[in-house]
Amino acid sequence: MTDFVFATAQYESGDWDSAPLVPPNIIDTIAKYTEIAVAPTGITVPLSDPRMLRFPLLYMTGHLPVRFTDAERRNARKFVERGGLLFIDDHNHDIDGTFHKTATEEITRTFGKLSDLPNDHALYSAFFKFDGPPTTTHELNGWGDNLVHKHLQAVQRNGRIAVLYSSKDYSSEWNYHPESKRFLSVDNTRFAVNLVVYALTA
Amino acid sequence: MRSPRSRFELACRIGAFALLGWLLGTSVMPTPGRRVARASQTDVEAKLAEWTRLPSSVALHGDFSTTPSAWAIDWLAALRHSGHAVTWSGSPPPVALTAEATADPRGSVRLSVAAPSDDRVSLRDDASVIDSVHVSNLGGSVTVPLLVGDVRANVLGQIAIASPPDSVPLKTIVVVGRAGWEGRFVVAALEERGWPVVARFAVAPNVDVTQGAGSLVLDTARVAAVVAIDTVVQRFGGAIARFVRSGGGLVLAGASSLAPAAAPLAPGAIGTRFRPAVLPRDTLDLGSTGFFPVTSLKPDAVPLERRTGGIAIAARRVGAGRVIQVGYDDSWRWRMAGAAGSENAHREWWSNLVSAVAYVPEPAHSAARTSLPSAPLALLVDRLGPSRASAPAGIGRAAVDRRLILAFIMILLIAEWASRRLRGLR
Repeated sequence: MTDFVFATAQYESGDWDSAPLVPPNIIDTIAKYTEIAVAPTGITVPLSDPRMLRFPLLYMTGHLPVRFTDAERRNARKFVERGGLLFIDDHNHDIDGTFHKTATEEITRTFGKLSDLPNDHALYSAFFKFDGPPTTTHELNGWGDNLVHKHLQAVQRNGRIAVLYSSKDYSSEWNYHPESKRFLSVDNTRFAVNLVVYALTA
Repeated sequence: MRSPRSRFELACRIGAFALLGWLLGTSVMPTPGRRVARASQTDVEAKLAEWTRLPSSVALHGDFSTTPSAWAIDWLAALRHSGHAVTWSGSPPPVALTAEATADPRGSVRLSVAAPSDDRVSLRDDASVIDSVHVSNLGGSVTVPLLVGDVRANVLGQIAIASPPDSVPLKTIVVVGRAGWEGRFVVAALEERGWPVVARFAVAPNVDVTQGAGSLVLDTARVAAVVAIDTVVQRFGGAIARFVRSGGGLVLAGASSLAPAAAPLAPGAIGTRFRPAVLPRDTLDLGSTGFFPVTSLKPDAVPLERRTGGIAIAARRVGAGRVIQVGYDDSWRWRMAGAAGSENAHREWWSNLVSAVAYVPEPAHSAARTSLPSAPLALLVDRLGPSRASAPAGIGRAAVDRRLILAFIMILLIAEWASRRLRGLR
């Protein structure tokens, strides 16, 4: 069986590499809590390259405007139609920010309309139990919209999450070196385990 | 020294007793040279009523290039039981047709036809022509999504008929393995095709994730087949062997046959994973990223697919169940990164694989269905015996009337008696 590879989506507009420590941190978390065979390093795949289809879970983030090229849009649409899960996180945690406005517009254009994901969705009990999307310390730090977002949003296909959109800024929350995890009383990356387990089993 | 009169009386007695003996003998053993009535397959049905009125001494013979209809065969069999010698000759094509419901959410029907090699069989139902099959190795098979009325197979004018079977109730498919893309996309493929699926994925030590509503108890009343993605199938222990022997299906994918509980059921062992060279720009296909070749096939195993690296798929029967061993362990790459249509192809491939092993309850046969000539030549041979190389050497003349012979015997006995009385004897 092939290892799970955590893949970050690279797109032509914006700063796709704004949270470089998220992948190693999530890989560390997966290895720590589960027996899922995970590759020790992540990979970056251009959305415009058809090889992005070889990685059914893609993480995408940034601060700047998102505008897919035709090739990126075509591949992303095929990715979702074939059963991939695209996780997009707003690194600005600002619903008035350019990333949120352009990314949600691009999602609607490419995949369909986003809707709130119920807080009792299987995603929140795929491994650890959550009452909804865990709150991040960055939601009330004075930056961005200063709101605690009660729901994640999603586009679903055949009863499964195809595109998961977060305004909670997990990219900032998880963008630290895995070595520093020992200083936390509660590991704040546990929700990433749910995300990966959901993608691999649902 | 006997007188001529005495010799005459002796001759009359001998003649009378000889004729009586002949009559007795012919009543016990049929005479080979009796009259024969003949018909071909074109007029046999029209002649049956006439044949029924003939004395049983008349032999009946049909010369058939195709078999008569089932009711005509039954009528001939009844005449045979009533005392007629009924024979037939000719070489109708041996054709047999069965229609079996497959375990498939779309309710498809598998038509299996047996016919002489190199012949072409045309299949049709009450609505239209379905397909034609070129027969190799004495048989062929076609799966159709729908049948309208009875289905007919025609080979050189010989027709076999089968009724559409009742649909098979769908039972759960259990998918078991470690959390990973292969298991996740196998579940997706089966669910998208309409199978009820229960999945159990091992995520962490003592932590399994279960997806879908249904039973994980392996019982053919609830579960049709198990798909083992890897050695996690070992968690079922001996239950998996009991399930298969009682009729359940098992698909052993990748390295799952290494599980001690699965190894005795597998068609073979597995070898070192075959890894063909894949260039970054290559379009992925099933098996293009490698597979575990099936090696050391058990004597009753059948290889189903061979590739450069060895046998990719093999199958065998275990008790009442069927087991398919699939060397592929990353078919999800084919679905995700394959050419256009690969998503649908992946879905169909997995559905067909499961359908091939899934438990199907024995159908209930009705009397009407068994009366259809699904194997007409076999029916003919069963009712009338095998074909004769040629027609019986029948004679066209009428049989001797036994009443005349009886009268002749009486004359002989009266003459003998009168002769003796006339010369004063009693």
